[in-house]
Parts: sequence; C-alpha cells; structure tokens
Amino acid sequence: MEPFVTHRGRLALLDWTDVNTDLIIPARYLKRIERTGFGPLLFADKRYAPGGAPEIDDPERHGPENPEFPLNDPALKDATILVVGRNFGCGSSREHAVWAVQQAGFRAVIAPVPGEGFADIFESNAFNNGLLVIELPQADWEMIAKASHTAPGRAEATIDLRQQKITIEPVDGIPAASLAFQVPESQRHRLLHGLDAIAETMAHEPEIDRYERSAPEWSLPSGVA
Amino acid sequence: MPQTLFQKVWDRHVIRAAEGATLLFIDRHLIHEVTSPQAFDGLRLAGRKVRRPELTYATVDHNVPTENQLDIRDPLSRRQVEVLRANCREFGVSLLDIQSGRQGIVHVIGPELGLTLPGLTIVCGDSHTSTHGAFGALAFGIGTSEVEHVLATQTLWQGARPKSLGIEVTGTLGSGLEPKDIILAIIRKIGTGGATGQVIEYYGPAIEALSMEGRMTICNMSIEAGARAGMIAPDDVTFDYIARGSRPYAPKGATLDAAIRDWKTLRTDDSSAFDRRITIDAGSLVPQVTWGTTPAMTVDITGVVPNPEDVPFASPDDARRALEYMGLTPGTPVEQIPVDLVFIGSCTNGRIEDLRTAASIFRGRKTAPGVRAMIVPGSEQVRMQAEAEGLDRIFTQAGAEWRQSGCSMCLGMNPDKLTPKQRSASTSNRNFEGRQGPGGRTHLVSPAMAAAAAVTGHFTDVRHLV
Ligand code: SF4
Repeated sequence: MEPFVTHRGRLALLDWTDVNTDLIIPARYLKRIERTGFGPLLFADKRYAPGGAPEIDDPERHGPENPEFPLNDPALKDATILVVGRNFGCGSSREHAVWAVQQAGFRAVIAPVPGEGFADIFESNAFNNGLLVIELPQADWEMIAKASHTAPGRAEATIDLRQQKITIEPVDGIPAASLAFQVPESQRHRLLHGLDAIAETMAHEPEIDRYERSAPEWSLPSGVA
Repeated sequence: MPQTLFQKVWDRHVIRAAEGATLLFIDRHLIHEVTSPQAFDGLRLAGRKVRRPELTYATVDHNVPTENQLDIRDPLSRRQVEVLRANCREFGVSLLDIQSGRQGIVHVIGPELGLTLPGLTIVCGDSHTSTHGAFGALAFGIGTSEVEHVLATQTLWQGARPKSLGIEVTGTLGSGLEPKDIILAIIRKIGTGGATGQVIEYYGPAIEALSMEGRMTICNMSIEAGARAGMIAPDDVTFDYIARGSRPYAPKGATLDAAIRDWKTLRTDDSSAFDRRITIDAGSLVPQVTWGTTPAMTVDITGVVPNPEDVPFASPDDARRALEYMGLTPGTPVEQIPVDLVFIGSCTNGRIEDLRTAASIFRGRKTAPGVRAMIVPGSEQVRMQAEAEGLDRIFTQAGAEWRQSGCSMCLGMNPDKLTPKQRSASTSNRNFEGRQGPGGRTHLVSPAMAAAAAVTGHFTDVRHLV
C-alpha cells in the first residue's frame, strides 16, 4: 500500500448527501475480476450522457459526458481531493467503489461530520487501500466546500496526516485556513507507513492459535471438527 | 456492569486489543463470486493459504440467471462464476454450487445450512451480512481486502468496540402488516445514517413474536440505517429453528444441548447497558412504501408524495433530485402510483414465509393487465419447499412468473433488470438510483404489499385485501 504522509492538491466538490456505492460504481461493473480499470467507471451512470457509459470489459471507451454532472467541470480535471456530503459510500460493501475513487485520481475524500461522514464499510475499505477519508465538523467542512465551490479548479489544500491538519490555500478573496482533523490512531499509523495488514496480523499468530484451541466444540461446523 | 448481547459476543472474540484497534476472531466466513476474486488473487500473489477452509463457505448468487440457472449467457458473469469455482478448488473451500440443491443467496443459505448460530462472528463480502444477526450472531459486511485478510488469518481488525443502539419494538403488528414495515418505519425514523458506527439490538414484544424469517428481514436492513450490525437475542424460536429441519452444519445431540445452555446467556442484562435507546410501537404502524431514492424516503400507504421541503434527512435539492428521478409529483396519493413490475425475492424477503404471505394475496386473483410479477425464491431449498406446498401453482395461476433462486432483480447484475423509467414494487432492500437497472424506479415494500400492487396495478393498502 502506498503510504500517505502529506498531499497537496486541487479540490473538487460533489455536494450530495447519501451518495451510495451503487452510484459510485454501478453493479454491472462488478463483473470485473481485476482490481484495476475502475477509474473511468466512477459515477458511470451520472457522468456520461445516456447510453455513453463504457462497456464492462472496455472501460476506457465511452460516449459523451453529461455536462450537468458536477465533477465533469473541465476545471476539475486534475483534482485530487474530493469534498462530498454526509454518509458518503453508504449501501453495498463493494470495495470497487474505493478503487474507482482512487483510480480516478483522488487521494483523499472529505465529508461532514465526525461519525457521520462516511458509511462504516466504505471507511474501512478506504483505509485498507490508502485512500484517506476525513470527517470535519460542519463549520470546517463548509469552509472547504465554499473554497471548492467559489474557485473550481483553483482551490487547493494541503493535507498533513502527521499533524492531522488541512491547510486551505487562499483563493479569490477566501483567506487561508487551517483545519484540524482526526483519524483513528491505528489507521493513521498504517497509512503513514503503508503497512500490509495481513503481514502485521501474522505476527500475532501464536495468539490466534491460542484462541482457536479454546473455541467451544459447538462453534465449529458439525461434521468437520 | 450490565452488558448488552453485542458486547458479550464481541468480548468473546477479542484476540488482542490495543490503542483503539481490536483483533477479532471470525467463526464463519461466507463468500460469493462478486467480491472474492481479487482477494484470492491477493493470496496467490503473496503465496498465502486459506487458514481455516472448514470455516469458509461459498456460493454463487449475484450473477446467476433465475430463468435457467444453467444458462449463464453473459460471458463476464460466466467467468466470474467459473473463477469462484476454480478458487474454491485451489484453496479447498466448500462451494454450494448450482445443482447442489443447496445453492441460494448467501444470507438465505447460511441459516438454512446451520452455519449461522448464536454467539458467532460471521462476515461476508456483502453488506447484508447483518441478516445473520437475527440469531444473536455478530455479523457484518466487509470489503474485499478484508475478505483476503479473513481468508489468510481467520481474524479481522476493527476499531474500538462500537456503541450499541437498543431499538425496542412494542405492541403487536396489525393484520396485513409485516416485519418489513417495522424496519422501514425504523429507517424512516432514524435516517440512513442514524446508526452509523453502531450495532443495533432489536428487542421487545413485537420482536419476540416474530419467526426467524421475520427477524432476518429486520436485521437484514440494519445496514440501510448505516448500522455496523443488527442483532436479536436468541430464544426458543431460534433454538427450534436450528434444531429442526435439515441443517447439516448445525450442532446436534449433546453438543447442541451444551450450545443451548451457552446461548441462553446471550441476552442484554439490562436495557440501561445500551449507549442509546429508541422505541417504536408496532401496533400503530400502517404499511410502508418508499417514494424516493433512499430507504429513509418512506411514507405510509395512506399518505402522499411529500414536498421536497418536508423530507427529513435530505436537503430540498437532494429531495428534488429524488422526485425527478422517480418521476413523481408532490401531493400525489401513494395509492395512485401505478406499477409496471413486481419483484418478490432477495435476501430481505425471499424466504418461505414471505412466499406464503405473497401467495395468500395472489390466491384466487390475477395480476393486473400490463403488470409483470416475478417471484424469486431466495434459495433452492426455499424453491423446493414452496413447490412442495403448491405455492408455485398459486403464483403461476395468478399470471406471475415462478423462477429459480438468486439475487435476481435486487441488483442490476444478472439478466433480471428494470428498463429506464420502469417502476417496480420490490421486496428487496435498496431503492437507490439504478439499483435494479439504470433509470429504473424502485419502491420498497413488504411481500404482501408487493402482491397487492401486482393484483391491482398500483400501490394498494393490503389491509383491504386480507
Ligand atoms: S439479494 Fe440483493 S442485497 Fe441480498 S445479497 Fe443479493 S444482491 Fe445483495
């Protein structure tokens, strides 16, 4: 996993609440058995004009875009920080949603408010892939959303995971601002060092062995014990 | 200190806890074809094995065509099914395949097989794993990286122990009302993020009165309120379900007796142990219908489509987008909304009781002109049971389609899909945009309400038909 220490990038705003994973990546694309190729499929049924979404096995080829979809603003082409509404990533557990967000070029996603910004499974999936998800208090989120909205493609921020701090760069009369955030310590540690969770767990194998030996007989499937 | 059911099950499975991170042991790992291929690839790349193949069970459900399971025409669907077969062979995992007589939606077959038991931790790369919580198991959905982690280690990292939310359901459900109405009413009350980061326990007289099937419907949709999991304390109804029928993996004889003694301790000691509590009265419910694009956008069947300014948990802009997508005008009585298609099935409402309820409405009636009704059993066991009871004939005589088991029209991944602007009454769990096919318009309802819509051609208060 690629470590995340600091990142400076452009902001893109999608100010919708309850954005579910079916919207982020429609179910038909889950027939792909690879972890790659999901970037152009992000928001496929919103992002392309009707009939324009790519075929499952040919993600790079698509029809015209839907000009009304907020992320299709050409100014946002190079954005790497996605600012979204509450309960982002709700619904299905599909990790493909995180792969799509990442492979479309985003390193971090920012939502309001602590404890409600992201659906639980999406959040775990994001951390497991090195996508930083940040929940900000409402007023702070509004500040970063306002900068994204006022200066699309020019609003920028620097995210420092060591300090757990976001710095919004001044733009169009909006002054610089510094916002504190918090991610769970164990996740922060893994992200900063790009650690592989499985290797880490395997270091605890003796404890797993011990646990398994203490399991009651009924807890094993009958006939296979 | 009094403990909740959830805390008891969680604490039993902690291998290690430090600095806000907990390593939990996982008793059962269920797998399906969609969220597992990349996990097996990961194992192969790292040269790792499945640590406990005998705790790991796979089936195929999402891609399986329900008209004829053997005829998977889409080459990508076929590849996904074949990749799962190859992975199960290579890693020694049991596969409940098509034609085994045991295939079905992963959350329907776990309990049927006796894999789902009280007090266990159960995970699956699927958000509706919360279903299994109906047995007093701690069951939740995980992503593909976590599937790989569980395959390799039989454990999972979690944060600190989640908070618990007690939902007491009092009163008695009226005639024509179903468990689906209870859970839709709960989501409507607390919102799609109302239980984010929390584990729900449902309790109270209206819950105790439910069969296991009904309890599964409720726990199934916990995720639609954002919950990490949903649980119900095991009782005699639970123990009977496990002991009866053909459940090959369930404990038997003295082992079952010992298990039941243990399971009887899996109760919340005192409701003061919950971090938060709410109460709803089942006796005052009327049938629920979703009008919008989240499961919280729900109204009474006796109600009207709301104004965008009056939609809880959604901004007026969000609500306007939902109304536009659904092609609805505020003020329209729900009973005047016509339906094109009725889907009865899914891991929420594809069990035998659901089919019995639907059949009781279809019996002696015909589907309305222009309405297509699809009845899809949640598993092959459910299909065989329904056929033994003659339910299939009631459906076909009413002009409905009787199909084979699978996820079917719950999600747009197999041939069963809505076409753009087609409107469905569906017993599944998600009314998201495009969930049943791009442009499709989904209204979530109970099996009785779906059947009522099928025979009248529009949403109808089923209480007038029972
Ligand atoms: S029936 Fe629907 S919700 Fe249930 S597992 Fe299948 S696709 Fe998922």
